[in-house]
Amino acid sequence: MRYVVVGLHAAGRSACQWLRRADPACEIVGVDPSAGSLYARPLISYVLDGELPEHALVKDSAPFFENLGVQLKRAAAVGLDANRKRLILDSGEELAYDKLLAATGSAPRRVRLEGDGADHVCYFRGQADLARILAHVKSGGVAAVLGGGLVGFKLTHGLVARGMKVKLMVTSPRPLALNVDEYVGSWAGARFKEMDGVHLMTSTSVVRADVHGQGLRLTLDDGSTEDVDLVVAGKGVVPRFAWLAEAGPETDQGLLVDNRLMTSVEDVYAAGDAVQASDIVHERPLLNAIWPNAVEQGRVAALNMAAKGPAQGPAYAGSIAMNAIPIFGTHMVSVGMVNPRYTEGCEFITTTCHRGSYLNIVIRDGVIVGAVGLSAVPRLGELAHAVRTRMKVSRIPARWLKNPRNAAPLAGNTPWYKGSRVGA
Amino acid sequence: MQHKTVIVRPELCVGCMQCAIRCAQAHSATKELATAVFEPVLAKPRIHIGVGVNPQGVLKPFPNKCRHCDPAPCQEACMPGAIRSDIAEGSKVVDPALCIGCGMCAMACPYYAIRYHHDLHAPERTITAIKCDNCHDRQKKGQIPACVEACKTGALEFGYVNEHIKKGAGRLANAAWSMQS
Repeated sequence: MRYVVVGLHAAGRSACQWLRRADPACEIVGVDPSAGSLYARPLISYVLDGELPEHALVKDSAPFFENLGVQLKRAAAVGLDANRKRLILDSGEELAYDKLLAATGSAPRRVRLEGDGADHVCYFRGQADLARILAHVKSGGVAAVLGGGLVGFKLTHGLVARGMKVKLMVTSPRPLALNVDEYVGSWAGARFKEMDGVHLMTSTSVVRADVHGQGLRLTLDDGSTEDVDLVVAGKGVVPRFAWLAEAGPETDQGLLVDNRLMTSVEDVYAAGDAVQASDIVHERPLLNAIWPNAVEQGRVAALNMAAKGPAQGPAYAGSIAMNAIPIFGTHMVSVGMVNPRYTEGCEFITTTCHRGSYLNIVIRDGVIVGAVGLSAVPRLGELAHAVRTRMKVSRIPARWLKNPRNAAPLAGNTPWYKGSRVGA
Repeated sequence: MQHKTVIVRPELCVGCMQCAIRCAQAHSATKELATAVFEPVLAKPRIHIGVGVNPQGVLKPFPNKCRHCDPAPCQEACMPGAIRSDIAEGSKVVDPALCIGCGMCAMACPYYAIRYHHDLHAPERTITAIKCDNCHDRQKKGQIPACVEACKTGALEFGYVNEHIKKGAGRLANAAWSMQS
């Protein structure tokens, strides 16, 4: 059996590991233009703010893939002939496969600006973007960060740590409008206003960028201008799957898959940011381009690819939006549905965990659908589990809500995954 | 392959917290209680006694620790690959040198088993993820995990899960038989 894994990042690497575990004798071919290096893209933000030394970011991938017996092809996939079961590489080579995994991830969403400076806008997605930003960073300079999501947040933090003054330009009336509830969003906004070197500009968007001396001159939607040395945008991502468009898989914003993570093309599976899998809470296909989903999808897809005959691998339960970022000396975590745009008509339970912490649980029709918290990370894990298992809010003991710090876990001793090593 | 693991029987726990103290001691620099409490970076327990409720609605102590799941959701969420399964076979162990304290693992753990503290193995970081490591260094010396050694009531056992299940079935059969007689 020959498995071809296209894209060797979070989902692809996880799939390689599980393919080898499920089928020790199979042939695995990994296709990625940057197959030689091993790193986790989200960690670039930790390098930018100096938390992680630059040399610790990237490792040589050879030992990892050799250990798994994965043959590496340093090439990009450009086409797929599903009838002949051939993957076409940019080198012109054709690669035969029995089962293929499309894990080509996503690319940063481009901002559309007028003016000759539009091409100077940096993005924040991978190592190359980081290098480009670091080349432009100068202490005492001014940077504009477009987008008030988690990437914008980390960027602002990192650039301030590098000694720049940051103008954080957010289209919405408050930062993190999509990621957290109003309380945490306003809390974060207030912290940014207090922070030296940060100028938070809400309900602001940039319409034009022109080259101006060494830097750029940005024109805002209200007609005013800002002179900056660096512009970085964090406006979300777009799945990358154009290379297999010829094979005609069903797509929406991303690749659509069934509950075994197979696309509508026979024997072509998909995992990671390129996939628009069903969202557990919203119960419809949504893009949830985050690390844990990608790794889980890689595993589920691999086990289904390796399943023999009529046997099937595990069904994919669905993706879930969740994120944890350390910020202002605490952790800010959100899980499931917390965006005020969707939580209208929902009930809320607000409680505190540790001193000064905040925990807000979102309930729809008696079922927990989301949670957001500040410095209450470990309890958010339980709530994420509650969201995934569609736990009824009546299952949460009053004791848990009264003193979440010391309460026993909601999941008790029930196993998380079948086959997990659970005592008693 | 089956690995010996810490088996928790919450119904036997009396909440004395000896396990938590001995756990912290075993993870301190000096490994002695009298000196561990004066260490500059205090060792923290990796087992916690939570307040649970039994089926009769009575509050009961619940010894809570990492289950070393496989596949482990915390490991899947860990971006720098700090939660490793190659340090001790059958255990998911946090490598403090790689942990960046981002909080993703705790967000993925359904059991409230991961906490964040200043760790003596990564003193330069303010917080590091801390969780049960199955006392793999004690096991290498032929000792059993510190929490199990400390437990006086049998709420924590160190053994094979399938043997434990067999014993449980035996206990159940005995109970059923003695009730009939």
